[in-house]
Amino acid sequence: MPAAAATDPGEVSDIDLVKRSQGGDTRAFDALVTRYRGRIYAMTYHLIQNETEAWDLAQEAFIKAWRALPTFKHDAGFYTWLYRIAHNVCYDWLRKKKIQGDGEFDDERSEHRVAVGAEAAPRGDLAPDAALTNAELGSRIHEAIAKLSPEHRQVIVLREVEGLAYEEIAALIPCSLGTVMSRLFYARKKLQELLHDVYENSH
Amino acid sequence: MPAKNFRNSSTTFMKTPTDDHELIRWIDGEMNETERARFEERLKQDPALSTEARKMRALSDTLRAHMPAEMRVPHADYFNTQIGVRITQMALDDARARTTTPSWSAQLMQWFRQPWFALAGAAALAVLCFLVMNPAGSGSTGSMILSSYTPNTHVQARTYHDQNADATVLMLDGLDAMPADRKISGVNIRRSEVEPELASTTMYDDKGAAVLMISRDALGNPLLSPEG
Repeated sequence: MPAAAATDPGEVSDIDLVKRSQGGDTRAFDALVTRYRGRIYAMTYHLIQNETEAWDLAQEAFIKAWRALPTFKHDAGFYTWLYRIAHNVCYDWLRKKKIQGDGEFDDERSEHRVAVGAEAAPRGDLAPDAALTNAELGSRIHEAIAKLSPEHRQVIVLREVEGLAYEEIAALIPCSLGTVMSRLFYARKKLQELLHDVYENSH
Repeated sequence: MPAKNFRNSSTTFMKTPTDDHELIRWIDGEMNETERARFEERLKQDPALSTEARKMRALSDTLRAHMPAEMRVPHADYFNTQIGVRITQMALDDARARTTTPSWSAQLMQWFRQPWFALAGAAALAVLCFLVMNPAGSGSTGSMILSSYTPNTHVQARTYHDQNADATVLMLDGLDAMPADRKISGVNIRRSEVEPELASTTMYDDKGAAVLMISRDALGNPLLSPEG
């Protein structure tokens, strides 16, 4: 599971801040928000791919965390617990979006849309940074991630950004290990396809 | 899932979902020592698989380099402020929802010594506090000070609940001594309302008149209206 932010010596620990927050101290909770807002916002941003929505959802995650604080038992790290809440907030949002009907959530369709082993595999040497500036490449990656189905985007973020192990991803989503591996594989294939020209141009 | 063909310059391999899984488990370091050794031996024998593995790993490295685990939050101070406002609003809503008798508010009186605020203004002191009326079911009462702020670092704000007076008392330590002849008058704060969009709290007296509004300026510093 994602690790808590490293705290400087002398800095108030998460446990102390959480205990004070549980007692109704909003200044302690504000310190926790300040400590973790950057990581929670990055997670929601990568999953939602929209700055405004990501900002709102990150805020929603902290509000839900405040409400749920009485149930926090200290058996898991605060960030791990908060991370799960933020993930669920995003997932609910994506699910609602699917119900509203853009059909984007069709995981099977998305998986089969990728032509595995054909043109998806980039040709040439893999040195995209040499051809594009960092910012341009970042922008291309952002666009490509946005084109993934939400479920493919989800596993990519959990694995590549948060560095979760397969079992942790399976427990969080939740789904089987096989599903995690299939989604990761097809998500990467799709990204290779979408970023094909980036690699080709760098050849 | 059907097996897929992929072509190498000299040979055609049948690729299975198991191959896909092995490939990404190798890339993600999810194999044990034995599995990894076996797969790497296979990579030596299979140029097409080796190329695919190399390219997928490169993609993975590129993604990690361009998807930061931490990002700067736009308008970060406002982000925090809004959370504070919404928490206050929720507490107020909860308090209202728990109200069972019409007379509960009569039991909830907070006294603000208005000249203290005037004095605070003179001392360049601003105090931000959200007072939450919090009747607990059977009629017992309480208040919660959610936050306080003193720009003048020589002044300390403390609060406590005085059960005898059934009041929340705000103490400002560090101000200049008050002249003995200063007349002190009190204001009963009957209720407060939070405006999430304005990030402000307005306090009303027992006649329903607004006596004090606390908000924040563009820099996030507390503003009192009317000014002390």
